[in-house]
Amino acid sequence: MTVITAVIRGLVMLFPTIMMVSMPPAARAITAEEMLADPALETRARTLSKQLRCLVCQNQSIDDSDADLARDLRREVRTQILTGADDQTILIQLRAKYGDYVLLNPPVDRATLALWFAPVAFIALGGLLVLAARRQKQAAPAILDPEDRERVDRLMRQRRQKGRPKR
Amino acid sequence: MTQPRLSFLLPLLAFITLAAVGATALYGTLTGSRTPDQLPSVLIGTQAPQTPLPSLDQSGSGAPVDLGRFRGAPVLVNFFASWCAPCRAEAPALEMLSDRVKIVGIAYKDRANDTMSFLEQYGNPFAAIGMDVDGRTGIEWGVYGVPETYVIDADGTVKYRHAGPLTREVIDQRLMPLIEGGGS
Repeated sequence: MTVITAVIRGLVMLFPTIMMVSMPPAARAITAEEMLADPALETRARTLSKQLRCLVCQNQSIDDSDADLARDLRREVRTQILTGADDQTILIQLRAKYGDYVLLNPPVDRATLALWFAPVAFIALGGLLVLAARRQKQAAPAILDPEDRERVDRLMRQRRQKGRPKR
Repeated sequence: MTQPRLSFLLPLLAFITLAAVGATALYGTLTGSRTPDQLPSVLIGTQAPQTPLPSLDQSGSGAPVDLGRFRGAPVLVNFFASWCAPCRAEAPALEMLSDRVKIVGIAYKDRANDTMSFLEQYGNPFAAIGMDVDGRTGIEWGVYGVPETYVIDADGTVKYRHAGPLTREVIDQRLMPLIEGGGS
């Protein structure tokens, strides 16, 4: 027993190390020469890059992606920042070329209403169903309608007749 | 029991709805009206970008490639590159199309020498070739991978974009109607 507890305790203590070893190092797509000299501008570029979809890999931001197009878009973002464009303008300009799809946060409009609000609607629907089920359980036992009542009576009679012991 | 219970009907209804959505999507994919592999182009219905490009010219003295020059008739714009394998695959299709319509080639992130040997090997279907060395014109058009082909009508409006190599279906069902219809 004591051996087992010791092993478990050891594993728990080692857990952070095990996690660090088994996890891949954070992907760093961006290279040093891409970065802007001004740290404040570079931070803006990184924040913007995280909001933009790489259209080749489609499930990565251009900040994460190693694709050529992602690198070109990162450069585009930085070029625009250097010319003094603000964040909103840069996003709008890229959206004008690649569409809403380039934004990892799709804007709320008629086409994306379901996307944004369906989860809320489904949770509400589920809640209603649970409530309804509960109420049904608490409700008084259902009264049989006359037709069913008669059927039950008939079955019971038949049973009694069949089961009657012979003399 | 005379009436089916709600707890039975509701899941059934949910299932039928989901199945209907799935069936519609599958039907669209099979008939080619739904193309999940194609990102929609924002450019469709707008004026094609007009930025002139340096020309790939054998003589080396060509005027910049300007789309405005091709006004008056529909034109195809094809982004290609010598390093792009599907571009080789679609070369015969472009060759065939070049008998019917003018094709402007844009060499995307390519070196002039490589582009020229590519054209020597696979044929040159292009009426003019512009060089997009750093890929910025590609970004301007919303290109997300070569090859990409755009149909521009006589007024310079983008009518259609196909991403990936041209196939027989795409040429027959999408490109040709737009080209024959005067592209408008």
